[in-house]
Amino acid sequence: MASQSHPYLNGDSNTHIPKKPKLSSLSSSFITEAEIQSEFSHHDSTIARINNGSFGCCPSSISNSQQHLQLQFLSQPDHFYFSHLKPGILRSRTLLQSLINAQHLDEISIVDNATTAAAIVLQNIAWSFAEGKFNQGDVAIMLHYAYGAVKKSIEAYLTRAGGHVIEVHLPFPVNSNEEIVFEFRKALEKGKENGRKVRLAVIDHITSMPTVVIPVKELVRICREEGVDQVFVDATHGIGCTDVDMQDIGADFYTSNLHKWFFCPPSIAFLYCRKSSQCLDLHHPVVTHEYGNGLAVESAWIGARDYSAQLVVPKVFEFVDRFEGGIEGIKKRNHENVVKMGQMLAKVWGTNLGCPPEMCASMIMVGLPACLGISSDLDTLKLRTHLRDKFGVEVPIYYRAPKDGEVDLVTGYARISYQVYNKVDDYHKFRDAINELVGDGFTCTLLRG
Amino acid sequence: MGSQSHPHPHLNGDSNTHIPKKPKLSSLSSSLITEAEIQNEFNHHDPTVARINNGSFGCCPLSIIQSQQELQLEFLRQPDHFYFSELKPGILKSRILIQRLINAHHLDEISIVDNATTAAAIVLQNIAWSFAEGKFNHGDVAIMLHYAYGAVKKSIEAYVTRAGGHVIEVHLPFPVNSKDEIVFEFRKALEKGKENGKKVRLAVIDHITSMPSVVIPVKELVRICREEGVDQVFVDAAHGIGCTDVDMQDIGADFYTSNLHKWLFCPPSIAFLYCRKSPGCIDLHHPVVSHEYGNGLAVESAWIGTRDYSAQLVVPKVFDFVNRFEDGIEGIKKRNHDNVVEMGQMLAKAWETNLGCPPEMCASMIMVGLPACLGISSDLDTLKLRTHLREKFGVEVPIYYRAPKDGEFDVVTGYARISYQVYNKVEDYHKFRDAINQLVGDGFTCALLYN
Repeated sequence: MASQSHPYLNGDSNTHIPKKPKLSSLSSSFITEAEIQSEFSHHDSTIARINNGSFGCCPSSISNSQQHLQLQFLSQPDHFYFSHLKPGILRSRTLLQSLINAQHLDEISIVDNATTAAAIVLQNIAWSFAEGKFNQGDVAIMLHYAYGAVKKSIEAYLTRAGGHVIEVHLPFPVNSNEEIVFEFRKALEKGKENGRKVRLAVIDHITSMPTVVIPVKELVRICREEGVDQVFVDATHGIGCTDVDMQDIGADFYTSNLHKWFFCPPSIAFLYCRKSSQCLDLHHPVVTHEYGNGLAVESAWIGARDYSAQLVVPKVFEFVDRFEGGIEGIKKRNHENVVKMGQMLAKVWGTNLGCPPEMCASMIMVGLPACLGISSDLDTLKLRTHLRDKFGVEVPIYYRAPKDGEVDLVTGYARISYQVYNKVDDYHKFRDAINELVGDGFTCTLLRG
Repeated sequence: MGSQSHPHPHLNGDSNTHIPKKPKLSSLSSSLITEAEIQNEFNHHDPTVARINNGSFGCCPLSIIQSQQELQLEFLRQPDHFYFSELKPGILKSRILIQRLINAHHLDEISIVDNATTAAAIVLQNIAWSFAEGKFNHGDVAIMLHYAYGAVKKSIEAYVTRAGGHVIEVHLPFPVNSKDEIVFEFRKALEKGKENGKKVRLAVIDHITSMPSVVIPVKELVRICREEGVDQVFVDAAHGIGCTDVDMQDIGADFYTSNLHKWLFCPPSIAFLYCRKSPGCIDLHHPVVSHEYGNGLAVESAWIGTRDYSAQLVVPKVFDFVNRFEDGIEGIKKRNHDNVVEMGQMLAKAWETNLGCPPEMCASMIMVGLPACLGISSDLDTLKLRTHLREKFGVEVPIYYRAPKDGEFDVVTGYARISYQVYNKVEDYHKFRDAINQLVGDGFTCALLYN
């Protein structure tokens, strides 16, 4: 295990980052519970932070490493630029290549976040329409539950350029992979009507809201069978959450954030582009002198900015390896814990989960009691704020509109996450907050005043 | 002058990373920042290097770094709360300060982006759409300076040329003797652009070129563009704010971008893109599309996915910092200019060379001719010499290769671009002077760097 001397900060209690925890040479070399808590002691202790899915987390030792890099740049930026930046990005890319089982280093580009990766893939689609490679009306398929930003990106690049978008309507709650596959095939058929070509399928690996693990491998296979040109898997919640193997999944493009479930500071993601004749044409939208040298090289320099989050990746790999089973162990334990906590909450509240345990990773949707009267997206935002401000619980809530004929159903689902810093008490706090609201006869109408 | 009463964390650590406590303002002395305090604020700069290249990467005082770290920690501590309650008001506050600083009429006109390179991509992507959607005709023209920044040239290729536009370069003389030379070449290029009934859709004009560095008379060129019927003018002022005068009403461009981490003491990285309110400007979009798409460029740019926005949020603290100097940013600009001219003239005299432009055509950077005997004869030579100066002499300065024209003999072919910022000292330039003198004395030529 590498030893690192890090600068450490002292200051008032609001900003205290403790020294990097020492590894005892006598005990097991795995990180201890106390060390984990220490690494995340900068988290607001008054909050039950059960929403790792939104913004992720970053251990103090990694923040310290990042600050070290930032200071190194500021100390002599020219030297940093000429001697450290490129090798540092290369090192990060090399580590990511082995992590996700990509065959060629060229296939790995580092970008700010999955939103940026989506813009890269979709801008290329827009050029294909503009340059006549695609015909007006050619189709792109996306999930109805695709992330809001990606939907807008598809509108901004694809619809604007003349493409036609078809949404895959997924059921929620969902009971099996078959339900998803069935809807996907339906949408593909619709896409191919009237001799149209399906140019792109955008598939979430794990949807955001409501969250469900999508059977991407199977859907990619179906896309190949049905003649879809290219498949783009948006795995914002990918690395550190579910299994990510490029050979196994087989997509043309795959992106995942590393600051969500892989302990990197904000922000960093990778975009994998399977080596093929088409992938040479992808460009980063922020064009620099590296234009034309391949997406990975273009993305490694998009003007003067802070690249420290991208350079700190080796330190993050070391951090992850301090856990038993490394990232695999973390994923497994997070999954088991979030299922256990979800089941505990659903039982106490007399509700249900949004999907079976095997269709979730480290997040799960838990039904909220119907008596809370959640009846709109705005209700979910207000209730979320109420939980944060009055109960110290941070959790996003999804509004599941009732379908025709459905009565007295669960209309609100909380998306709980489990990450290494969470404790059972966090979920008890949430359980008790909801129980108190129910006991007080609370409904969301009270928040609309 | 704002007083800052909240405590800052301070770092202790090994000597490579030592950041001292934020300097205290003495209540008895003048409230202006002292020389000692300035040196303290830039204590983290490598003391072994004569850092006379503020133009490339700028600088950031320690008190601002600390403020930025506070913001970063605040986000990490409770990111959801930060996102819902702090981020938008913080960006708004920064935009308001920038609006006032550059005399823009409407807050909507100010968007904050990562850097001028990003701003260029925003403006040029819009041009690409105009070609793709048939608003512009194939062959319509964009004008740019031959000395436009490399990234911007590539961006023009990636978005304008690729979409069917035709690019015309304005060839500027260097060394340059007067603004008239620039205006003359610009008019020539415009005429060429309008040949055969073509429309000039965009003029991309540097406010201060990068290499070689010269202040361009943008106000006059913008006026000429209006007279000649150019659709839109985009001023790339990467070196704008804190370097030269930046007044949106005075300059009159449609689009104007400037980095704030170069000459306005912000941490890496932050820039603004000004888009004059007009029917044409509503169509600009940030290329990284988020759920804010369609809500106007400023709102789109304020949320481009999860990332570290701290450099954009620290702007109020930077304004406080700048106001600790006599006459604020105006005073800093003036003193930087006077000093860089003095240092440039000192070096040109010591080496018996010349400056690249008259003093009134530079701001806080100036091109100083290097002795011809050094034998600089290619771009590669300049890179190698720059590395040599960094590694062997502890001098950081970019060098420009000025190829000899037909008939020119024994001319200066290499120019160093020296910068002056508040942390610089005369000794930095003496160190450079002596390094070159030593190389000359040793009979050094660039050919020696190729073993």
